[in-house]
Order: sequence, then C-alpha cells, then structure tokens
Amino acid sequence: MAFSKFINKWSGYFFILPGLLFMIFFLVFPIFYNFLLSFQNVTLLNLNGEHAFVGFANYVTIVSDGTFAVSFQNSVIFTFLCIVFQFCIGFALALYFNRKFPGRDFMRSILLLAWMLPTVITATLFKWMMAGDYGVVNYFLQSLGILDKPIYWLTEAKTALYGTIIANIWIGVPFNMVILLAGLQSLPEHLYEAAKIDGAGRFRQFVNITLPLLRPTILILLMLGIIYTFKVFDLVLIMTGGGPVNASTLLPIYAYKLAFTQYDLSLGATVASIMFMILVAIAMVYLWFMRKEEQL
Amino acid sequence: MTGVRKNKYVTISRTFIAVLFTMAFLFPIYWMIATSLKPTSDLFANPPHLFPKNVSFAPYADNFVKNQEMLGYMLNSFIIASGTMILTLILAAPAAYGLARQSIRGKALILILLLATQMLPGIMLSMPFFIAFSKMQLINSYPALIIANTTHSLPFAILVLRPYFLTLPGGLEEAALIDGSNKFNAFWRIILPLVKPGLLTVGAFCFLWGWGDFLFALTLTTNELIRPLSLGLYKFIGEYGTEWNNLMAVASVAALPIILVFFGLQKYIVGGLVSGSMKD
Repeated sequence: MAFSKFINKWSGYFFILPGLLFMIFFLVFPIFYNFLLSFQNVTLLNLNGEHAFVGFANYVTIVSDGTFAVSFQNSVIFTFLCIVFQFCIGFALALYFNRKFPGRDFMRSILLLAWMLPTVITATLFKWMMAGDYGVVNYFLQSLGILDKPIYWLTEAKTALYGTIIANIWIGVPFNMVILLAGLQSLPEHLYEAAKIDGAGRFRQFVNITLPLLRPTILILLMLGIIYTFKVFDLVLIMTGGGPVNASTLLPIYAYKLAFTQYDLSLGATVASIMFMILVAIAMVYLWFMRKEEQL
Repeated sequence: MTGVRKNKYVTISRTFIAVLFTMAFLFPIYWMIATSLKPTSDLFANPPHLFPKNVSFAPYADNFVKNQEMLGYMLNSFIIASGTMILTLILAAPAAYGLARQSIRGKALILILLLATQMLPGIMLSMPFFIAFSKMQLINSYPALIIANTTHSLPFAILVLRPYFLTLPGGLEEAALIDGSNKFNAFWRIILPLVKPGLLTVGAFCFLWGWGDFLFALTLTTNELIRPLSLGLYKFIGEYGTEWNNLMAVASVAALPIILVFFGLQKYIVGGLVSGSMKD
C-alpha cells in the first residue's frame, strides 16, 4: 500500500524522467562541454591525453583570424537576405492562399515538399541547375534575355554566396507561408466585415487589422527564421564547400573546417560558442520585444 | 445569377494561377526526375530538353542494380531513421503525457528548455559528441547516429505531442484507476491509443529527419559501411562530377520515402508543423 502511494505521488515525474535525462545528458551537458572545450587545447592528437587550460587564447586566435570576419559577414548577409525574401514571398503566398478556391489545401501542402526534402538532395539539385555550362537556370535566364552569357554561379567568388541564398530561399518560402497562413486563418472574420462597412479598402484592412493582429506570429516566425537560417550548414557545404576560397563560408562551415579538417576541436568549439552567444542575444531581443508588447 | 457565375470564374482563375505558381515553384523536383531519366549524351544538349526525349532507365539500373553499393547506404539510412523514430517516440510520448496531464513542478521551465534546445546549431553538438563517442568507441556505430539525431527530434516531438494529450477529456485516468489498473497501465492501454494521429505525425517527422541527416553522419562516421544515403550522395558528387543523370537518379530514390510519407500524411504534417513552432 505504501508503495503504491509512493508511485502515485511521484508518477508524474516517472513519465518525464527518461526524456529529461536524455536531454540533460545529450543536449545540456554538450553545451557546457562545448564551452569547456573552447578554453582548452584539444586536438585529434591529444584527444585521449591531458588538456591544458588556455584561458581566452582560442577566442583571441579566432577573432584575429581574417576568416572569422569573412564568415561572420557572410553569415549576416546570408541570414538577412534569406529572411527578407522568404518572409515577403511567404507572406504574399499566404495572403493569396487565404482566399477560397478549389485545390487550395492540396497545393498548400504540396508546396511544403520543398521544405521537407533532405538538404543533401536540394543542394545537389541546385548545384546541377546552377551549373555554369549546362545548368537550366542559365538557360532560362538567357532565353528570357536577362543574361547574355552564362554565369558560373557557384564557382565564382562574386556569385557563390548568392547562389546558396537562392536555394535556401526556395527551402524557406513554404515554411513561412504555412505559418503565416495558419495565423491569417485564425483572425476573426467579423473585424473585416466591420471594416468593410466603415468603408476601409483592402490595403487599409491589411495595414490596420491584419498586420497588428498578426504581430505575435510575425515576431516568432522571424525569430525562428533567423535562428534556423543562421545555423544552415549542409546546404552550403555541399553546394560550394564554402568556396571559392572563403567566398561562401558561413560560421558553421568555418567551425566545421577547424574541428574536422584541421582537427583543432577547441578552435571549432570556440566558433560554435560564439555562434551560440549570438543566438542567445537574438532570443533575448525577441523576449524583450514580447515584454514590451505585453506592457502596452 | 450572374453573381454566382462571376464567382465561379473568379475561383477558377484563382486555382489556375495557383496551379501555375505551384508548378513553377516545384520545377526543381520535376527537373531532378527528368534529369534522372536521360541518357548521358542528352544531358549536355543545347538547348536542354525540358521533357526527356529518349527516356533511359540506365542511371537507375547502374546505381541500384549493377552496382549495389547504394543499397548498403539505403539500408543504413533506414536503420538510422527507424532507430531515431523509435527512440524519440519512446522518450517523447511519456514525457509529453507527463507535461500535459500530471502535476509536475517546474513545468514552465522544462517547456522553455525544450523550445530553446530546438534552436541549438547542430555543429555545436557535433564536437562534444565526436569526443564523447570517440572515448566510448562509438564512432562509426548506429547508436551514436541514432542518439545524435534524437537530440534534434526529441524537443520537437514533445512539444507537438503535448497538445494531443491536453485535448483528451479529463477523468480518463481516474476511470482506469477505479478499474484497478495503475497509472502506467492506464497510460499504455487507454491514453496512448487515443493519440495515434499525433504519434503518426511525430513519427513521420522523426523518420524524415533521421533519413535526411547529413551533419552528424559526416562528423561521427568515417566508415562507408555505416554511412547513410545522404553521405553516399555527397561522395558521389565528388566521384561522378558532371554525370548529373546518375546523381539525380540517386537523389530521386533518396527523395522517394519523403514523397511517399508526405502524400500519405500531408494533412497531419501541416498541422504538426504549425503546432511545433507556435505553441506557447
């Protein structure tokens, strides 16, 4: 009897315990370990031996490395352009798909295929479409008269980053659309009817009703979008390898190369820690926005 | 009367524009399949054949029948994806249930932790994993990849499953307790069968993520015998260079499970996606 009482009192915790332990072991602990690594000198060679504590030496090395500045700048350009285009195109589509027509739901879900496809496949596919010599992108642009000679999208320093940005926008558009559409569909219809009676046109309705009511959805979508885009890795690694030279190296690729091709795990972990702090800062800005919102 | 007819024209033209857009947007997927059906000599036709002129299944035969290396990669992908799905569901279903229907202190904190961990960059986990799994001699093993992929899918799975448990009517557990079974029995026999659609959605997502994983496979394996199809394809790009029909045949086969699952579960997937990123 005492035993079953004990079980009933604590059973809630038994349900969450396995999942929670897994998260602590394999998610929370690695974050701390990653920070620890960034203050040590671990390489593949001394992996099983003794590691010295080196203070902020790794951070100094990274910040004074020119590649860091380049990858940081690339990451900012990549994230900014992807978010702007994904969001705007996604929003336009969401507004279009918010009206009723046959086949709407089917098309909305089938567009999500672009988002669900494994990145390796998308990356290979865009690499082929953007090939300089026989790529179908150049063919279309040339037949439309936009280009007069082919662009070597992914092998030229000037365009490589933008080639990967285009591919990533393609992946992100349906995600933005689906989330915004769900937001639009939850808005109360009667507000629009009242606005119509007051003589407000479509544009006024959009600015005065849709945008303010959709604000929470938009804010969380932008924050998630920034965070997801900031950590894009495989797409760019497969399409350009971060090259030519470092023209399309993003921070995760920089970290990967340090840790797994130069085998300096501590330097890689340092870059990852810097990324983590940037992401935390973004989340803080979001939370600050939300609090201000609630106080209004 | 004319109003009704006008309305009909409007909705039909809306559908028409939407169909055109959808087709243009999904052109890359069409192009993958079209390229995979071309003989090598047609790949470099100028202008390119937008519809394959001479359909050839040679790229499929060469990569999946004659050379069976790809089948090994596929089997690995299948093991990793299924393992991820099973481990995630085993951990996530009770956790989501506990967080939905049991009194637990610090619930809000756990939910925030779940949201926050979804945002971790995979590369940040891959270095600690590499070191830890090296020490445990688990580099080049399925368990290492399954655990690594589960870190990606578990927080999402719990967040998506919780609302399913929340919407069940109250009193289900009490009824079961009166019948003499304990809480765990009630969960297993009565509650779980009621959230099957949720389990299906989450299971599908976990499988697809495990199937598509590239980063962990790249950093935690070196042995081709254990590597999944994503890395097989990556290796191919290096080896095949410009034999795009072969590459696209492999890519199409790798995309096939995604497309099948997708069509089977499309309405669940949209719902799952929205609730996973928006709740609380």
